[in-house]
Amino acid sequence: MQYITVDDLAFHYEDEPVLENISFEVNSGDFVMLTGENGAAKTTLLRNILGLLKPSKGSVTLSRTNRWDEKLVVGYVPQQVSSFNAGFPSTVLELVQSGRYPRGRWFKKLDKEDKEHVRRSLESVGMWDMRHKKIGELSGGQKQRISIARVFATDPDLFVLDEPTTGMDSHSREEFYRLLKHNSQDHGKGILMVTHDHEELRQYANKHIELIRKEDSPWRCFSMDSCKEPSRHHSSSH
Amino acid sequence: MFFYGFMQRAFQASFLISLIAPVLGLFLILRRQSLMADTLSHVSLAGVALGMLLGTDPTWTNIIVVIGVAILLEYLRMIYRTYSEISVAMLMSGGMAVALVLLGLNEGGGSLNINQFLFGSIVTISQQQIWLLLALTLAIGILYIVFRKPMYILTFDEDTAFTAGLPIKRMSILFNVLTGVTIAVIMPIVGALLVSAIIVLPAAISMRLSKSFNGVILIGIGIAVIGMLSGLTASYQYGTPPGASITLIFIFIFGLTTAVKKLFSASQYERLTRRRNITGDTD
Repeated sequence: MQYITVDDLAFHYEDEPVLENISFEVNSGDFVMLTGENGAAKTTLLRNILGLLKPSKGSVTLSRTNRWDEKLVVGYVPQQVSSFNAGFPSTVLELVQSGRYPRGRWFKKLDKEDKEHVRRSLESVGMWDMRHKKIGELSGGQKQRISIARVFATDPDLFVLDEPTTGMDSHSREEFYRLLKHNSQDHGKGILMVTHDHEELRQYANKHIELIRKEDSPWRCFSMDSCKEPSRHHSSSH
Repeated sequence: MFFYGFMQRAFQASFLISLIAPVLGLFLILRRQSLMADTLSHVSLAGVALGMLLGTDPTWTNIIVVIGVAILLEYLRMIYRTYSEISVAMLMSGGMAVALVLLGLNEGGGSLNINQFLFGSIVTISQQQIWLLLALTLAIGILYIVFRKPMYILTFDEDTAFTAGLPIKRMSILFNVLTGVTIAVIMPIVGALLVSAIIVLPAAISMRLSKSFNGVILIGIGIAVIGMLSGLTASYQYGTPPGASITLIFIFIFGLTTAVKKLFSASQYERLTRRRNITGDTD
């Protein structure tokens, strides 16, 4: 089932084109990595997909339902710098619990199952012991981890992740990729992830979209060559 | 002083304001809109001036004008996303300018009254204002209980709120309108010049004292009750303007909590260092 369909998308800032000829799909069970040099408009592309920006040309279709015909739940982890309101008066537990709200809990109390999800999510990123800390007191890497815990607590059908592993050590990154792979392969979740770790991620992802600079454009404009299967240097360990 | 009807009404009003100020104040601070309260209080002066010029009850013209500007503020905030203070600067000076022009057109007939709105007056609180404030407190209380979770997400990060499917534009406009109506209702009591301080300061103090979101609101309400009631008593005893007296007490509480927190952290650090020296623990 197609969760994201991008068809000939172009995006201009004022009159300056930054993205052109972008077409790809993210299906249920896909683990797609999106790469490109710094300033390749990767975040701009994600924001177009999520509806935070409007494409100048072409279309983006985000499925309304998941493969069980229920409302599609999207879990978004923005880039760390923009996502963290440092002085926000909240404990780690409160913030991660808020990840459950889009799961039909806006106006209901969290039940035992919700709390269990939250506990497991915090444990999966090694932050359960820090649950009563104020989020403003955490280091950059810890903030990144609780953003991830929050999205795991949501248990979304579609993960949209913008460089989620910034500030994480290689062991934690590997654990995280393994968890994502498990979610896409065994639970049919769709994953679209902007990353610079494409060498590490090759063995987990099944599609690779690379944004490359258009040489025939006078602007700093990016396009994609094709949506390909990532070349694997190592055999998959999962 | 409790034998006087006007003092009874003043205490009732202060208590109700103490319940809503920290809720609105916390969201205003976290949405980086602290100055919006100031803008709306300046605009509400224009609403009062319009009411006086038309010879109608200024409470209602005030509420209508402030609601209009509160909606406009949200649109300007969207247009000037990166420099949202531009909208504040524009509307604050614009509101004041309109108020002064309308007062000028009124040929000075209302100069005595406008002072009451600038600095606040506890003598003139009517029973109608108390009922209005009670209705507003109930509305804000119910809306907070119902929309606490969506507002938490919206305040933490608007992009995440949008992707979670929340109607962020409508929620922001509703919040601005509620803030505007609150300012329009409490402005004649505490004064246009200090209304924003009374809304923002209790939450600003409690943010330093609690780790959790609900904790900030509960402590904020406690601080607001203490500050408002003691400020009102001081205002009665010494004949000082109520808004100014209450604001000074909040600033005193802010200084006191900051000093006590610093002393507490210093003594905790000292205790920890001493324990390390005794046990030789280097963790």
